[in-house]
Amino acid sequence: MMRSIIFRCNLVYYYSLMKLLIVEDENSLSRSIGEYLKMEGHICEFAKNYKEAFIKTADNSYNCIILDIGLPDGNGLDIIREMKKNRSTDRILILSAKSSLEDKLTGLKIGADDYLTKPFHMSELSARVNSICRRDNFVGFNEVSFNEIKVRTDENQAFANDQLLNLTRKEYDLLLFFMSNRDRIVTKESIVEHLWGDNVILTDSFDFVYTHVKNLRKKLIANNCRNYIKVIYGFGYKFCEP
Amino acid sequence: MKLLTRSTYYFFIFSTLAMIAAGALFYYTIRTIVYKQIDDSLITEKTIIQDQLEETDTIPDFAASFGYLIKVRLLNSPTIYSQIINDTDLFDIKSNSYLAFRHLRFSNNTTGKTGYTINIYQVLDKNKELLDSVTIIMFFLFLSLLLASLFVNYLISKKLWSPFFDAINEAAKFNVLSDKPPELQDTNINEFKQLNMVIEQMTSKMRSDYINLKEHNENSSHEIQTPLAVIRSKLDMLMQKRNLSRESIDLIKSINEATTRLFKLNQGLLMISRIENLQFPETKEISLKEFIQKGLNNYEEIMQLKKIKVETEISDAALVRMNETLADVMISNLLSNAVRYNTDNGYIKCRLDNKCLTITNSGLPLEIDPDQVFNRFRKGTSHPQSVGLGLSIVKKITDLYNMQITYSCIGTVHEIKLIY
Repeated sequence: MMRSIIFRCNLVYYYSLMKLLIVEDENSLSRSIGEYLKMEGHICEFAKNYKEAFIKTADNSYNCIILDIGLPDGNGLDIIREMKKNRSTDRILILSAKSSLEDKLTGLKIGADDYLTKPFHMSELSARVNSICRRDNFVGFNEVSFNEIKVRTDENQAFANDQLLNLTRKEYDLLLFFMSNRDRIVTKESIVEHLWGDNVILTDSFDFVYTHVKNLRKKLIANNCRNYIKVIYGFGYKFCEP
Repeated sequence: MKLLTRSTYYFFIFSTLAMIAAGALFYYTIRTIVYKQIDDSLITEKTIIQDQLEETDTIPDFAASFGYLIKVRLLNSPTIYSQIINDTDLFDIKSNSYLAFRHLRFSNNTTGKTGYTINIYQVLDKNKELLDSVTIIMFFLFLSLLLASLFVNYLISKKLWSPFFDAINEAAKFNVLSDKPPELQDTNINEFKQLNMVIEQMTSKMRSDYINLKEHNENSSHEIQTPLAVIRSKLDMLMQKRNLSRESIDLIKSINEATTRLFKLNQGLLMISRIENLQFPETKEISLKEFIQKGLNNYEEIMQLKKIKVETEISDAALVRMNETLADVMISNLLSNAVRYNTDNGYIKCRLDNKCLTITNSGLPLEIDPDQVFNRFRKGTSHPQSVGLGLSIVKKITDLYNMQITYSCIGTVHEIKLIY
């Protein structure tokens, strides 16, 4: 019990200190990203062109850099190359308006950690950023916890009150998705895109999301969790203190 | 009719007519010359006879007139026949047949002397033979000339027109997708030079237009992504606001739905233009089985919810050489359609062997023409949220790899068959 409390403290401490750099030339988009991620307690800095990004990445260190590679005065991929040359260990999430596979492969090959195509849901971005940051090799980074719920991402297991939860793959992903977006509204659409991929124009009604959420909630409550998943009229769900 | 055949045909008709005319003219000229000679000799003979008659008043010794047959008849009356020259046949006892003769008749009735009518004949046989052989020689000469010139004409035309046929072939082979310009034969004939130039200009214009259009399509789709991302992010932020009224929530919900649709639409169009732009060049041997199983797993929960029964009959041997991403898009589009347009308590049957993939599913009767399901933006009214691009993307992919895809619908049974 004691250990788990220490873990939790570490996590809270870690999350609140997560420093992000948002490189995006579209002002209103970067403002939204910043606002959304700040809700989680992250510290966000901004760069709106290649030059600024270049200077900031050279001078500072960030937990994660959200990098739009289509910048007006240069290619974002060059920033990654430069950073890797300087042995920077900053994590990088590429944002791109192009969904072309080559860009994605090149980006990942030269050292980016993930790739997200515009337009994206804020909840998806947040989940990706959190997932990237968890890859850092510090103790406890493979764990996400919220009160009595604990998710070990290295083993793909979730616990409630230290009891292993028997979740399906999708329920597990859904729980993690909620936890990466706690206290914020997550739409049904973003859940569908996160769980089933956006390659497929799947269905017109999102009833099946409801079933999934219902099952997850049932399993959590069966393991003596409080009901954290709140239904928000018209939009979707919010994972928060009841 | 082929140009060469036609030109040869006309050449044949006109040269035959010309040769017949020339032959006839030749024949009659020769004949006239021959007759003129005979007639001249007949008249000479006549002059000799007349001279003799005037000198001696006796019938000359006709035997001396070699080659002529001369018949003399005394005139009973003083009538004088006018001189005539004509052709006539006489019976030859020796050969027991008629022979052709040239015949000259004249009368001599000088006063005070005995009146005669004298017929001079000359055998035409020798001359006729000459004429005949000349005719035959001429005929064969003309015939061989005709054939030779036909042949030469054919060869020349063929050679002359070869840049033209070549240009046609190249133009027919021309594919706007390939970056190879048509290879046109060099020629120094002005008209063909012009033709080649026009073809080259046209094809290069077509290619550049096509490339421009493709780039335009792709670029505009890409450019739409950023404003869409802004809208989406703002909507996400707006939803986070506390104390929204129900009315506002409904408005935001509608905007969100429309934005999602726009996003899906743009994404679909982008996918199509990327397939068209051949941006998925890497291929490898792909086991369709894996993709089908992955797809079915992905929709497992939804199928459970709709109580859809799945039957599969899948062979391992089904290997297709194609791009991995496209295989994934193709299979997941087909399966998601089968799930999406299914009814509650329906079924999906998947059969895969090494020749074809058949996906059969229950559903509502089709509202649109089955032949049009692969066209862009064709969709029924029962799914207003659908953007109507799924099957046209599948069709683009199958076209890319020369696969055949057919759709059939009998009542409530829908079947998609993919032959690879």
